[in-house]
Amino acid sequence: MTPRRAKQAETDDLAIQTFNLTKTFKSLVAVDGINLNIKRGELFALLGPNGAGKTTTINMLCCLLKPSKGTAQIMGYDILKQPFKIKEIIGVAPQETAISEHLNTRENMSLIGRIHGINSPELKIRSQQLLKTMGLESRAKDQVRKFSGGMKRRLNIMMALIHNPKVLFLDEPTLGLDPQARRAIWEYIIRLKKEKTILLTTHYMDEADFLADRIGIMDEGKIVALGTSHKLKASMPEKNTMIISASNLTPKVISEMRSRYAEVSITGDTMLITDSQLDFRKIVDRLQSAGAKVRSAHIKEPSLEDVFLHLTGKELRE
Amino acid sequence: MRIWELFKRNLKETYRDPLGMGFLLGFPLVFMLLFGAIFSGDNASSFPVGVIDEDHTPLSQAFVSEALAKVSVLKVTSYDDVDTANKDLRFGELDAYIVIPPGFGQQVSQNWQGEKANITLEMTYDESDVIVSEQLISIINTVTRTFARIEIPLTINANPIHIETEITYVDFIGPGIIIFGLLILIPTSARMVVRDKEKGMLSRLLTTPTRPVDFILGYSLYMVVIAIAQIIIFVVAAWALGMNIVGNAGLAFLIFFLAGLCSIGVGMVIASLSKTEQQAEPLCWLISMPLAMLSGCWFSIEMMPQYLRGFAYAFPYAHAIGASRGVLIRGVGMEAISNDFLFLVGWAVVIFAIGIILFRRSMRS
Repeated sequence: MTPRRAKQAETDDLAIQTFNLTKTFKSLVAVDGINLNIKRGELFALLGPNGAGKTTTINMLCCLLKPSKGTAQIMGYDILKQPFKIKEIIGVAPQETAISEHLNTRENMSLIGRIHGINSPELKIRSQQLLKTMGLESRAKDQVRKFSGGMKRRLNIMMALIHNPKVLFLDEPTLGLDPQARRAIWEYIIRLKKEKTILLTTHYMDEADFLADRIGIMDEGKIVALGTSHKLKASMPEKNTMIISASNLTPKVISEMRSRYAEVSITGDTMLITDSQLDFRKIVDRLQSAGAKVRSAHIKEPSLEDVFLHLTGKELRE
Repeated sequence: MRIWELFKRNLKETYRDPLGMGFLLGFPLVFMLLFGAIFSGDNASSFPVGVIDEDHTPLSQAFVSEALAKVSVLKVTSYDDVDTANKDLRFGELDAYIVIPPGFGQQVSQNWQGEKANITLEMTYDESDVIVSEQLISIINTVTRTFARIEIPLTINANPIHIETEITYVDFIGPGIIIFGLLILIPTSARMVVRDKEKGMLSRLLTTPTRPVDFILGYSLYMVVIAIAQIIIFVVAAWALGMNIVGNAGLAFLIFFLAGLCSIGVGMVIASLSKTEQQAEPLCWLISMPLAMLSGCWFSIEMMPQYLRGFAYAFPYAHAIGASRGVLIRGVGMEAISNDFLFLVGWAVVIFAIGIILFRRSMRS
């Protein structure tokens, strides 16, 4: 295989490619020259705080916003040259629950389906499948203004899926939902994995951690880190924190721990030990032999929050 | 197909919202019912008006006895000289007096024969009561134009003293209130698009293969249905309140329809320029209320200074009111209102073209 062909084969495997994609609003650089390669069938999460440039990136990829510089390709189509080709193959669930409040569930789906030219019998089959999958079968004929936030979010995703798009954009799909409703949406997204290429934006680190094959951490318009959740966490220099709940912690044993490990802090009956290497058994044995009564102990792995803090010096607020 | 889907969706969104629908049809209807209640029936006030006929021709006499005397809100008294009429005006016995100058009959006759004519009346009124004097000017103007058939200069009438209609105040105000109702379509049509913008629905639709022209037509067509419903309701209400429909109701409907289209077009332009409902709403009222005032639906355009009259006629509503009054009250046909009609068609086409251009631009921003 020639290098050119190999490169083409590699490109063919990509669903989304961005080339120095940039968007500025007057003096504000919202998206700052990002380069992404997202494979077909991959679930890629853009993680970052509000204002990081995630939605602006999605809006450019959906042909809603024109880039100030650079371009992108969706399934080989250029966002600047072939926007209507792209609009035929993408599904978008915007951050706002963009639904028609006085229409019922089925009518909302039909609106998007019909715009995409799907005929009535096919639309009926697809609507039924989605209603069943998303658990809204019994509410098919109800006007959606009566729906809860979680139900509206589900419909928001259903409307993005009705025309069976190749690429799905989910912009903050669980924003403002309670943990139970979020979990339900995650279950539906998990079912879509591999079937479709999904680009998801979120500022919930647990969401990105749970759902994504790969994560791009975004801050101030730039991708500051990119990789699988595991790789991102493994890249942390101080990666282990042990949390011990114990009584009778004597000044002597605290002092000893401080001399052995990089960071030791005490808050009430809780001791936090942070270092690159932690021997769980050895620490518990030493504390017990020094007279401490250990109630519980566990090692906390670094979170994506820690990764973000490490990379940007800021906290990723939810 | 896409236009049809958007049309269906927008129509459902509207008729399934009882509050919004109630406002849409109820607000101008309340105005119409109020005006109807105030100016129709036995309790309607009458204006004492003096007439001095200096022409002394059969036509000038017919104008007094057949035209002015038949207007129910006018109480006409003939005077022999201006001084007596002026004295009665000063003592409050009259609201106004009219002098029919020599040559009036000849000028009217010339006009009927299709020749150039300069028909003038001198009217003196008590300017301290602005509302009464303004109404009087409008009524006298309308009656004179009806009598002299100023709008159909090529028609030669074999029976020159035949009067086709008795003009009431409801006749005069009816078309104006209908146009006012159609001006309300400006905020209504803008609101739907801007609400969809704010709630993200428009963004969602913009990620589908829908094109700007589909959007503008999809959002406008359902408003056209609303406009048609409004026109039917208003015309029926005005008729029930005593408005005489002398001319071709179909032609009047077409005029109202074009005025409605212009309102929808203005609404689409405002929607393209606004990002939020908070931006669009004041902008709509800022535009629609002055347009209503300038249209002559509340105040007679004849009362306005010349420069303002010119400005009023730059917009479609003064043309629509003039043309619809001509058709409904005076019974004139297309030949008499063709200029107004073409102006309305042109305005509707241009405003929709601007709407599509601005919408396309806002899509790309």
